[in-house]
Amino acid sequence: MSAAREAGGRKERTAAPRRRAAGAKPDLALVVPSETHFLALIKELTKRMAEAAGFAEGVPDRLALAVDEAATNVIEHAYHGAADRSFEVRYEDRGATFQVEVVDTGAMVDPRAMPRVDLDRYVTERRTGGLGVHLMEKIMDSVTFQRSARRNVCRLVKRKDGEPEGR
Amino acid sequence: MSELSVETREVGDVTLLYPRGFINAHTVRRFEQEIRKALELNRFKLVINCEGLTYIASAGLGAMMGSIEEIRGNGGDLRLAALNETVRNIFEILGFHHLYRIFPSEMEAIRSFRDGEPS
Repeated sequence: MSAAREAGGRKERTAAPRRRAAGAKPDLALVVPSETHFLALIKELTKRMAEAAGFAEGVPDRLALAVDEAATNVIEHAYHGAADRSFEVRYEDRGATFQVEVVDTGAMVDPRAMPRVDLDRYVTERRTGGLGVHLMEKIMDSVTFQRSARRNVCRLVKRKDGEPEGR
Repeated sequence: MSELSVETREVGDVTLLYPRGFINAHTVRRFEQEIRKALELNRFKLVINCEGLTYIASAGLGAMMGSIEEIRGNGGDLRLAALNETVRNIFEILGFHHLYRIFPSEMEAIRSFRDGEPS
């Protein structure tokens, strides 16, 4: 089931609110204008949601960075810097995992198509792109990109069992 | 509170930058401008005092990467001092602590240039 919503003169389709299972923690979905000004808000909200999900000290800051990077990718690459669009950030505490989805209706972007980060080459070739995806992958247990129904969905998942980062 | 301010100070041939606030895709231009200003004045020995830096995203790290070759090619270096735990952790996640010299204090970073320690 889906609901149609007007945003900036365009119709965007978003998932209708789901009924929460008994005992499940509340989810949160946020529609954010595609302006970099709002990145700080996303970062703070992500940190709070991660803390509420029970992550230990330090982890919420890193999760906030990963989501900041995903949102930055949307603004800069999917929307090419256009400030009159919007995207959605969805948080879900799934018990064993914490999941964040960043959903946009912009151009199809495949961050995985970017060359892998090689720090030595970054110095010699003055490359600066691709760091955000690299960070996301280092911080999260799973980062996936999907294109479906003209929407890009970046799904970030972090386990709560304390597996080490920086794999 | 301002999102990012960047004050600068000169100590001999070393330029100190004091970012206060956070560096992300929204604020990175301000940070880049201050690095560029120093380079345009042919000042290639830079210390970024991160004491007031609460957070840095890849945009800020990219700004450093974008100028490091020019800096080192002119016999200088970009060194960092007084990183808080959050910022240090971000550097370590990316392996940037292997690319940049990091000092506990501003004075130690300045002294490292005077002692002629290699980059």
